[in-house]
Amino acid sequence: MSDMLLIVEREFNERVRKKSFIVTTLLMPLLMLGLMLAPALMMSYVAGDAKTIVVIDRSGVVAPQLTDTESVHFERSDIPVDTARRVMTDKFGVLAIGADILADPSDVQLYTNAASSMMLEEEVRGQIAGILEKEKLQSYRIENLDRILAEVKTDVHMQVIRNDGDLPSSGSSSIATVLGMALGLILYMFLMAYGAMVMQSVIEEKSSRVLEVIVSSVRPFDLMMGKILGVVLVAVVQVAIWGVLACGIGPAVMPLVLPDGAMAAARFVQQGGDAAMMASFDPDMLGALAVATDIGYLASLFGYLLLFIVGGCLLYCAMFAAVGSAVDNAQDAAQLQMPVMIPIMLAFFAEMSLLNDPNSSLAFWFSIIPLTSPVVMIARIPYGIPAWEIVLSLVLLYASFVGMVWVAAKIYRVGIFMYGKKPTLREMCKWIRYK
Amino acid sequence: MEDFLLHAEHVSKRYAGHTALDDVSISVPRGSVYGLLGPNGAGKTTLIRIINRITAPDRGAVFFDGHPLAPSDVRHIGYLPEERGLYKKMKVGEQALFFARLKGLSRNEATRRLRMWFDRFDIASWWNRRVEELSKGMAQKVQFIVTVLHEPELLIFDEPFSGFDPINANLLKEEILALRDRGATVIFSTHNMSSVEEVCDHITLINRSRNILSGAVAEIRRRHGQNLFRLEYRGDEPALRSALAGRCEVVATDGDAEPPADGAQDAAPTLRAPAALRSLTIHVADDKALHAVIAAANEAVALRSFAEEIPSMNDIFIRAVNGTL
Repeated sequence: MSDMLLIVEREFNERVRKKSFIVTTLLMPLLMLGLMLAPALMMSYVAGDAKTIVVIDRSGVVAPQLTDTESVHFERSDIPVDTARRVMTDKFGVLAIGADILADPSDVQLYTNAASSMMLEEEVRGQIAGILEKEKLQSYRIENLDRILAEVKTDVHMQVIRNDGDLPSSGSSSIATVLGMALGLILYMFLMAYGAMVMQSVIEEKSSRVLEVIVSSVRPFDLMMGKILGVVLVAVVQVAIWGVLACGIGPAVMPLVLPDGAMAAARFVQQGGDAAMMASFDPDMLGALAVATDIGYLASLFGYLLLFIVGGCLLYCAMFAAVGSAVDNAQDAAQLQMPVMIPIMLAFFAEMSLLNDPNSSLAFWFSIIPLTSPVVMIARIPYGIPAWEIVLSLVLLYASFVGMVWVAAKIYRVGIFMYGKKPTLREMCKWIRYK
Repeated sequence: MEDFLLHAEHVSKRYAGHTALDDVSISVPRGSVYGLLGPNGAGKTTLIRIINRITAPDRGAVFFDGHPLAPSDVRHIGYLPEERGLYKKMKVGEQALFFARLKGLSRNEATRRLRMWFDRFDIASWWNRRVEELSKGMAQKVQFIVTVLHEPELLIFDEPFSGFDPINANLLKEEILALRDRGATVIFSTHNMSSVEEVCDHITLINRSRNILSGAVAEIRRRHGQNLFRLEYRGDEPALRSALAGRCEVVATDGDAEPPADGAQDAAPTLRAPAALRSLTIHVADDKALHAVIAAANEAVALRSFAEEIPSMNDIFIRAVNGTL
């Protein structure tokens, strides 16, 4: 036992003391945040570049009502379309609208001098459609049309309230989707990264022949277990640091950077209030804020994350250790690790596709079956699911880890002394039965 | 009754497809250097791994200090495998500490002993260097220290001299003998036969998974003498040959054992020239014939020496493996 602790200590120290660990641990949250913000940033950057379109309207209905936006700027002109197409090469394009546009709405052409974008086309098409609809409505000559239209326009805020209200849940499903995605992604990355770490470590010991000295004083099982535990401990430390950062920074920093009133509104939401009632804030935004500043909820999420990361990493590290023991170098490992990679990939795709309906039977089974359960279950948790499902998933996960270690140890014990020929999966199965 | 530290009794080990060890027994006397000889692939490393409890035998048992080999016994064994290796990225000192603690030393005790050994090998300045910065020979020194640091009762060296230059090999040999003199028992496997004659007290020769020859080195060499004798004399060779005729068989004539003094340069042989020392190798059937041979030779020439030709371990090894012993 003390031998195993020594192995754990070595594995842990060797990894945690590395600069790369410290850098990754601190930079990862920033990177994640950047990845989430990147699409929004890119959108606003693209939109900032306004394009000028020359409008030649032979009907005279549309052109006066077109309004300039951030992305498009309209200029009216009377010259013939063909001439405009030849002359106006410094503009983005020429929009030609037919004389009888009201009767024939498809008589609209946009001639462009450069590649157009879907967003721009949508903008122009939408404006024209709006103008035409309005013209048609007015042709019915209804009195007080504007007032009627204003009255008819209705904005629905639906409140989703769970009957089993005491389940931990992030409330709004769009926040749950984002949270679930992120958590599932984290688990997926941990399983891959830490599994590969164990495999690398086993291969390194084997190829540097340091193994033989160690197994002359430590049982192969202790060595393998110590290695797995040491690596998983590193994962735990990493998640714990992130947990502390999130729980600490969220509630501490948010109030300083947010507009007045937002925090009060968020607290109101936390206490079960209706986000839609706080008229001045976007309900989803407010919900996210409520989650980000709720220490209790964040802590419980990180608790689950830890439980599933530990269970999942233990399970996958055991499998990767078995694969690593059977080969001499990393190149040979690529093929043998396929059976281990497939369930991880499967879990990842399942997570992506099942976020739409976290309660489908497919989602349920993927989150119960041990090989895929860590990724899928952690992604479902933010939606608020019954405790027994989580408990069952965890129990099965840890039980299958025990089984997997037993199998992996058998392969490992034989594999570490096999040099030269790369074994097939069938041979590895045979090793399990060796005395 | 000799005091044995280690017994392996009727040990067999089979791998898929081939037998690595077939009913091998060895007994290693305490405080001796025990050579494990055999051609490549004979099963030496398998036996060593079984003694180290790295693998378990299919049949048979190993006894250490009188009791069946137990997990705690590995604390009293130091093992230097043939394929040597250290963690490349780890610092030398930390690594040595790690291995020492695996063998049950406390951190403080291990540090104290390591400092002593590092000073002794004059490598104290390597403590904080990474292993990948060391040359192969330097790493071997570190590995040797790691092997002996916990002062094991039994030391096992698998091909210890492979990869060492002559100077370091000699250093290693002296250290091995010094360890034996301090009371340790040493098993080492090798196919370097001259080192066997120099350091081993006992040997076991394993060939094709079986123990084909065991015993004390001196005893084995005597036992496998082929009744060859070499006699050195001054005098007339034809006279000696005719005196010996019928009593024994002349195997080889070495002619002049020493280069003739001046003789070659002088055209005419001088009367005063000292008679050159000559030698003859003969085969004598048994001890009875030996009396007559010596008596006859003594009559015929001035006998200077008469000694049995003891075969080298190298001869014995080759003959044993070829099955002509």
